[in-house]
Amino acid sequence: MTDPIINLEDISKKFTRQVVLDHVHLEIIPGDRIALIGQNGAGKTTMIRSILGQYNCEGNISVAGRQPRKDRVEVLQHIGFVPQHPPPIQMSVQELIKFSAKLNKNSEVQQIIQVAEDLGFEVNAHKRKPFLKLSGGMKQKLLIAMALAKNPTVLIMDEPAANLDPAGRKAFFLRLSKIHQQTTMILSSHRVDELLSLINRIIEMDYGKIVLDERTGKHSLSGKLLSCKVKVIDMTDPIKKMLDDWDFQENSEDLCYEGQIVDVDRLRFLNAISHFANHIRELNIT
Amino acid sequence: MKESFNILYAVSLADIRESVRAKWFFLYSLIFGGAIVLLFALGITESQVLGFTGLSRLLVTYIQLCVAILPIFILITTVRAVVGDRESNVLEYFLSMPISLGAYFWGKLLAKFLVVFLPVFLALLGALVWGGIQTLNIPWHSVGYYILLLGTLTWCFLGIGMLISSLVRKQEWALGLAFLIWLVLLIFIDIVMIGVLLQNQFQEKIIIGISLLNPLQTFRTGAILLFDPDLSAIGPASYVILDALGQNGFLAFSILYPLGLGWIFSWLGYFIFKRGDLV
Repeated sequence: MTDPIINLEDISKKFTRQVVLDHVHLEIIPGDRIALIGQNGAGKTTMIRSILGQYNCEGNISVAGRQPRKDRVEVLQHIGFVPQHPPPIQMSVQELIKFSAKLNKNSEVQQIIQVAEDLGFEVNAHKRKPFLKLSGGMKQKLLIAMALAKNPTVLIMDEPAANLDPAGRKAFFLRLSKIHQQTTMILSSHRVDELLSLINRIIEMDYGKIVLDERTGKHSLSGKLLSCKVKVIDMTDPIKKMLDDWDFQENSEDLCYEGQIVDVDRLRFLNAISHFANHIRELNIT
Repeated sequence: MKESFNILYAVSLADIRESVRAKWFFLYSLIFGGAIVLLFALGITESQVLGFTGLSRLLVTYIQLCVAILPIFILITTVRAVVGDRESNVLEYFLSMPISLGAYFWGKLLAKFLVVFLPVFLALLGALVWGGIQTLNIPWHSVGYYILLLGTLTWCFLGIGMLISSLVRKQEWALGLAFLIWLVLLIFIDIVMIGVLLQNQFQEKIIIGISLLNPLQTFRTGAILLFDPDLSAIGPASYVILDALGQNGFLAFSILYPLGLGWIFSWLGYFIFKRGDLV
């Protein structure tokens, strides 16, 4: 049996009289890729913050054998974190990148820039802009880049792809597929369907308890690209915009468009194109 | 150890950059820098009140101005340091990075000290340079003491601000509490409540005790003492305090007391911050 990288023993947390975590037991082993799901108020964020050492809780938490509250600097060197809502940081992009690289031992400025650019965020074009003034997608890409560039042992992301455009999501999922197999991931989300091909374990929380803990099989991260061909009956501006967003190109055939989508994004793509169902003559995904 | 200092430096630098970009800093520098320019422009160095003239007159006026508005400026800008970051989720993100709580808290405090103190210090320096150009007599001894006094006053109110910021969970509460503290301290300076207490023949010891506890009163009395050794220009409580401590004793007290108070409040703030939920 592999030693757990994260161990929660009988964790409870109350805010005034409200129990937010209720005697939670959880062992997470290296290589676990977890979809942490549950409704608002289920306790997902509280659990993440407890693992990050930001809350005092009853019970014991250990990350890589250390207590996050007591040994926070050592523990947090191993954790990459992406919050759901980008914070309103006033530092410029280049200052923030330098700040992150200075604090994280395994991180370097060039590495962060490289990952950010892989995700489609041109650092040089925005380097003097305050982080606060970037668009939601740009902020998210930079936060993801800073988390990934430190090659963390544990990657914790709260709705990481929520603000990303289709191209950004494609780059993000491709990047995730290249992460080391032993990296532990906790992806907090309201929806499990879009995470299915990324994860090997689902944990569902409700009223501060773990109500479901299920392994979904030994998936390797799917960064598989699917070829997609769409033939439309007529072209309207909304369809054109949707296909442009997904980076589709018109081919030699009239009213026929081709592109690639990441396997993980299949459902999202089908959902997007379903709005124009009356205009679609043919759809092929291979 | 070196690593801890590097992190402290990184946090301070980040905070200084954020503060310098903020509108309040522009306004703050404009007020305290502009006050010196305005005092020169109004020809205050050529006027004479209670025997003060030249640069001494300007310094006395400037210090009086500082007594009234510097503490509230410090409090308003500092009380949001922790609670503001907490409310906006900046704290959640920064504290997910390998930053020790000490480096975060003291780094912020150090940054705020520099950002608050430097404009006032530079304004005083500017006054000296301009006074030198105009061949005014420069009271070096008083200037040195004033710089120390302003530094310790800043430190004292930064400590109070950081304590409030660690204690409360809402920015509105922090601002309200800061304003209340400032108002109470302002009311209990020599010319206001203390005068009323004396008129109503309260016990002398109580009155002196209240005066000594009030850092604003200490600052004000210390500032005037250099130019008016008999303290004839200000209230009776100051006069009695001077009688008890002597001039040098009081000058030392007015430096050491706010400094100590600042340390006590900031350590208390750090202790509360470290012990509780961080976000």
